[in-house]
Amino acid sequence: MARMTLNGIRKNFNAVNVLHGIDLEIADKEFIVFVGPSGCGKSTLLRLIAGLDSISAGEFRVDDRRMNEVAPSRRGIAMVFQSYALYPHMDVYENMAFGARLMGLDGIEIDRRIDEASKMLRLDPLLKRKPRELSGGQRQRVAIGRALVRKPKVLLLDEPLSNLDAALRSDVRLEIARLHREIGGTTIYVTHDQVEAMTLADRIVVMNNGKVEQFGSPRELYERPANTFVATFIGSPRMALLNVERSGNNLGLAGSGSVRLDRLPPSDERDLVIGVRPDALTVSTGEATSGFRGNVVYTEYLGDNTYVYVRLGDGTLVSVRSSDGTALKPDAPVVVSVAPEAVHYFSRTTGERLAA
Amino acid sequence: MARRLWISALIVPPLAFVALFVVYPIASAFAYAFFQWHGLARGEFVGFANFYKVLFTQPYMEWTVNAFLHNVLVFFALMVLQNGVGFLLAYCLWRELPGAAFHRISVFLPVVLSTIIVGFLWKLFLHPLFGVVNISLRGVGLGSLAQPWLGQDSTALWALIAANAWHMVGFPTLVFLAGMQRIPGEILDAVRMETESEWVKISKIVWPLVAPSATVVFTLLFVGSFNWFELPYVMAGLDGSPHGATDVLGLYFYRTAFGNQSGAAQDFGAGSALAVLIFLFIAIVAGFITFRLRAREIQI
Repeated sequence: MARMTLNGIRKNFNAVNVLHGIDLEIADKEFIVFVGPSGCGKSTLLRLIAGLDSISAGEFRVDDRRMNEVAPSRRGIAMVFQSYALYPHMDVYENMAFGARLMGLDGIEIDRRIDEASKMLRLDPLLKRKPRELSGGQRQRVAIGRALVRKPKVLLLDEPLSNLDAALRSDVRLEIARLHREIGGTTIYVTHDQVEAMTLADRIVVMNNGKVEQFGSPRELYERPANTFVATFIGSPRMALLNVERSGNNLGLAGSGSVRLDRLPPSDERDLVIGVRPDALTVSTGEATSGFRGNVVYTEYLGDNTYVYVRLGDGTLVSVRSSDGTALKPDAPVVVSVAPEAVHYFSRTTGERLAA
Repeated sequence: MARRLWISALIVPPLAFVALFVVYPIASAFAYAFFQWHGLARGEFVGFANFYKVLFTQPYMEWTVNAFLHNVLVFFALMVLQNGVGFLLAYCLWRELPGAAFHRISVFLPVVLSTIIVGFLWKLFLHPLFGVVNISLRGVGLGSLAQPWLGQDSTALWALIAANAWHMVGFPTLVFLAGMQRIPGEILDAVRMETESEWVKISKIVWPLVAPSATVVFTLLFVGSFNWFELPYVMAGLDGSPHGATDVLGLYFYRTAFGNQSGAAQDFGAGSALAVLIFLFIAIVAGFITFRLRAREIQI
């Protein structure tokens, strides 16, 4: 069992506030991903959980046991570092055996665990090699193996794919997902890549400026982003945000005309932000259709889809997914129409989601 | 062609300089050792007679052995007091214990002082009546421990060793610190995830990873210990007083080759033979140490 509770976690480095009160409840066996732009505090939060840095305020519990003052090696937590941090003077076997010996396990048990981990990670032929004789992907697997041999309750992974080339990334991503299922512990994974987050996580913690912007399943984040930050961070190409002015059921966009939408959120704010993803938009050349007027900037042909980038009247650039791959010339005047059920509404002042 | 000329022009002058001021003196010392000398006048060729004299005839033999054993003691004592302490200081500085910035400077500061100044300073510190050391001991009620440190056989050499360690400890500290700073921070984090024992961190991770620094520091200490001259010369004089208790090869060679103030005979042949023996011993052992220690270095 490894249920984790973070309660009002803060971290200051001297006068600088890096984390401003993080509250999280993480259930046993969950795969959690911390995602956010660089400098958002996700790696700092991971280090606080590991115990590598001290918590300035708040409380961190694992299974109701307070961990703030517990040494990193006694938390039942193992970590895979971004640079892998293998011990360069030890071979693969020694790298994995080192921590297990320090736990006081006997030789037979250590051998059994290393055998198990090296089978799972296909490290058998590499056991006698030094880290410098391994490729990046192999080092990565050794680093994971070293963590698994300790049979941790919680496995932490700090940007584990960032040092791998693109071809390896998706392989290792699948492998990590498989490992998580096989080991059956709690995993926390830090990345700045929202695709990794979406594909791996049971639940995602989106962080920005030392705060949690939203904590939820990939589907919740994608379908009901809590604010404009999450809305634009999750999904690719990113969601377009339009500053519109409401009058009745009409939403007007400066220089682009207006559209009429039903089921607007019950808010008396005049200034709204609407968020629309590329697949919620359609582009057409006809004058008859209702929508925002704009001009094509360029098109991106991706085989199965074409993304059309349109500059609207107020200067906002929106991307529109178009399956027919219409050959639209740059500067061509177009009308961008909106699928009403797929529009997200946010307050202009707070950026928070407005319930429809 | 022009390139070759250019390279030669760069290489030849320093090579000539080294040949004239390094190779030639060493070679001629080798040659001197095989001749009999009358003052500064060269006599007849005597083969290995000078070597035989300093190694196997009394009283030279006793002096040689006495001085050599002192050098050995100095080497091992400084290995602990200078390199060992230097390693621990470096570890403390590396882990940024409180006040690390201040201590980084204060540990290294004595290294920049000249040996003559350090020797003179410590001679004053260790003065039996007015020295800081004895005054402090009396001040804290340990007056019974106050000693004439430089005046008795049992403590004189150790006093010199302590003064040397105080003077030079900043050097191994700096070299080890540089070595530790090359260790990636995540490796230290990785160890911290596995143990909280400082001993395990130091012995299993940090020590093996600073092997290149250890090679440098060990080799230099070895060479320095067997060439030890200035500090004992300043603090104990050419005779290695009291009664040869601080005599080391450097003093002994100097005394033999050039005589001393009290006007003992100077014997250039025996002195040269000693110099050659010291040189060969240092070169061979230092070469061996370097070779062995290199083998255990690893790329980080």
